[in-house]
Amino acid sequence: MKYLPLIWSGIWRKPGRTILIFLQVAVAFVLFGVLQGLRTGVQHAVDAARADLLIVHTRENFFSPLPLGLLEQIRSVPGVKVVVPVELFIGWYQKPEEATIVVAVSPEGDWTDAFTFNISPQHLAAFNANRTAALVTEFAAEKYHWKIGDHIPLMSNTKQKNGSTTWTSDVAGTFTDSDVGVGLRSKIIMHYAYYDEARASGTGTVNHFNLAVTDDNLAVTVADAIDRRFANSSHETKTESLRELAQTQVQRIGDLDFLIRAVVSAVLAALLFATATMMMQSVRERTPELAVLKTIGFTDRAVFLLILAEAIVVCVAAAACGLALATLVFPLAARFVVGLAMPNATVALGLALGATLAVVSAAIPAIRAARLRVVSALAAR
Amino acid sequence: MNFFRQFLALLRMNLGGEGARLGSVLTIIVGVTCTVAVLVSMLAMGTGAHSQAVGDVHDDEVVVQAKGSRFTESDITRDEMVTLRDLPGIARDKDGEPHVAGIVLVPFEGHRRGTGRRVFFPLLGSSDAKFELRPPAHLTEGRLFEPGLHEMIATNACVRQFDGFELGARRDVHGAQWTIVGHYDPGQSLQCIVLSDAATLMSLFGRNGYNRINVRLQAPSDFETFNRALEANPSLKLEAKTAREATEADFQQFNGLLNFVSYFIGSIMAIGATFGAVNSLYSIVDARRRELATLRAIGFGSGAIVAATLLESILLALPGALLGAALAWLLFHGMAVSPFGFNFRLDVTPRLVEIGIAWALFMGLIGGLLPALRAARVPVTTALRAT
Repeated sequence: MKYLPLIWSGIWRKPGRTILIFLQVAVAFVLFGVLQGLRTGVQHAVDAARADLLIVHTRENFFSPLPLGLLEQIRSVPGVKVVVPVELFIGWYQKPEEATIVVAVSPEGDWTDAFTFNISPQHLAAFNANRTAALVTEFAAEKYHWKIGDHIPLMSNTKQKNGSTTWTSDVAGTFTDSDVGVGLRSKIIMHYAYYDEARASGTGTVNHFNLAVTDDNLAVTVADAIDRRFANSSHETKTESLRELAQTQVQRIGDLDFLIRAVVSAVLAALLFATATMMMQSVRERTPELAVLKTIGFTDRAVFLLILAEAIVVCVAAAACGLALATLVFPLAARFVVGLAMPNATVALGLALGATLAVVSAAIPAIRAARLRVVSALAAR
Repeated sequence: MNFFRQFLALLRMNLGGEGARLGSVLTIIVGVTCTVAVLVSMLAMGTGAHSQAVGDVHDDEVVVQAKGSRFTESDITRDEMVTLRDLPGIARDKDGEPHVAGIVLVPFEGHRRGTGRRVFFPLLGSSDAKFELRPPAHLTEGRLFEPGLHEMIATNACVRQFDGFELGARRDVHGAQWTIVGHYDPGQSLQCIVLSDAATLMSLFGRNGYNRINVRLQAPSDFETFNRALEANPSLKLEAKTAREATEADFQQFNGLLNFVSYFIGSIMAIGATFGAVNSLYSIVDARRRELATLRAIGFGSGAIVAATLLESILLALPGALLGAALAWLLFHGMAVSPFGFNFRLDVTPRLVEIGIAWALFMGLIGGLLPALRAARVPVTTALRAT
């Protein structure tokens, strides 16, 4: 404890230099935090995706239509709790830039169990009761100032039987979506029956089926059973969990891993060089002072630790500052990858790297300081 | 003249003493090197993606889509296609057939070799395969698909990147078995493209319209004629863009993202490296206090001192810039990457090297400002009295 003031005064011996080193380390750790944090954070978001919710789509891709008739056969597979037909399309509100995902579902029984949507009971009841009703995400409601009871027209590329491509629905309530992954945050749920009856082509088909299983451990078994049931039919399916889907989405950025690693290494290498040089110089300049410390009874070990402690305090504090700044970026990034947050592992790794940086760059000067011979050091003055 | 002579003398003194301050000098060089290397290689992604995208574009080709359509959902009827074939400006072959190809896109998936990762890309149906195989694009193996049969050809990139695109391999599309009957080389692109007959695909998927129409003009200058005729025809609700415009528009967002990320990372690294440079220059200047004070005492002007220190800082940044650009070129030039499903090679161009050098010189200038001012303000008496 008694060394603390000594460490403190050592740090502020040359305030300009310390502040510049501090800033340099902090800036480097902002970059480290953002890059490394995004990489790990995305993986965490994927791990948090639901593995017990399954999507049944055509074997070859995610977009081709499946006949609604498969519904009963899927429902009869043991372990299936609830299965909901889903049709997806893109709608635009007023301007072509304002895209919204429209999810058309059949609201039967406990249909919400097969989704990651959080809907309050009143809103859910209001939606179930009216076939032109729609639920909108809170994000969309706020952005477009939609209120319960509003008629909202959405432009789309899907033609209705009457030739119009504008779909109108009545807002019955709002919901939030806890699914992770890359996608639009503006979503609308409407009735599949309303959509299917009005559209000009494609009647009786769905994009995919959403289903929930009775027991989480059954997810893989159920998925295999469904795919086996439709194998060699004209509608072969592929059943995947939301987690597997998130994994696929996220892997698209996977090839950037190498680049992220290269950038982080370059940043740390440049940083190590700068801090090491500065520590060397600082100790060289302080040779007489260190000699005085030794003269009044400081052991070699104490001097060694003193130099090391100074470096660690500066570097770790700067790293913490940089990581804190990096954390501020995450709410922004979470707009693109839902569920993204700064992982604790990255913060811990960053602080550890900060300490390592300090130890590596201060080791040689500290050893030199410890081995200092008092007589020659004082004589050099 | 006096200023200039003082300036030169100072510069010679400054640069001559660099050897003794190796640590500080190296800090500046390493910092600048890393920054420039990272900036140039990141920007090389955007350049590589762009040059590949426009590399295979023919200037006399035009892309026609339904008015106001977005994504792949444009719908062009066969009637519109028939009318369009008679518009002026379109190139014709020796039998008088216009060079016009209707294109349908259906989603298709592949599994990456080795990792088995799933990637989606479009399966292209063309009503005129010769259009897509216009030189320099050419078949390298096998034969063209037969209309009416479930056959397709794939680029060589598909074979390298994904499983199941070998000659004779069978692929499942919408419940039907399709065979890969040929491989082709599309030019510069590393993108996996799978091509088949438009009519066969449309009947399988129950589609009635094309997603877009590719048109070859007699000459690039015929675009105005063609476009005017297209807009003047009331039965055509279509809009035309030159192939180059259409490609640029497709890549704009992706390129914008890549460039934003590059400059974001490059700026943060530059700020960090500049702090390091300021620190190093301060210690270089501090070590010279006595010399500077002496020079001031014998009449050197502070303007010359500021200018000489600034130039020294800029000159110290220069080797880092060259080294960084060289490193980026050695390590990353020509490296194939595939972020977000696009496949391309990094391209370190002279233009990027220029940007890297400009960036480094700017860092040197900013980093040298404060130390230069301190150098000019060395108080003569105290500095000379100091030990």
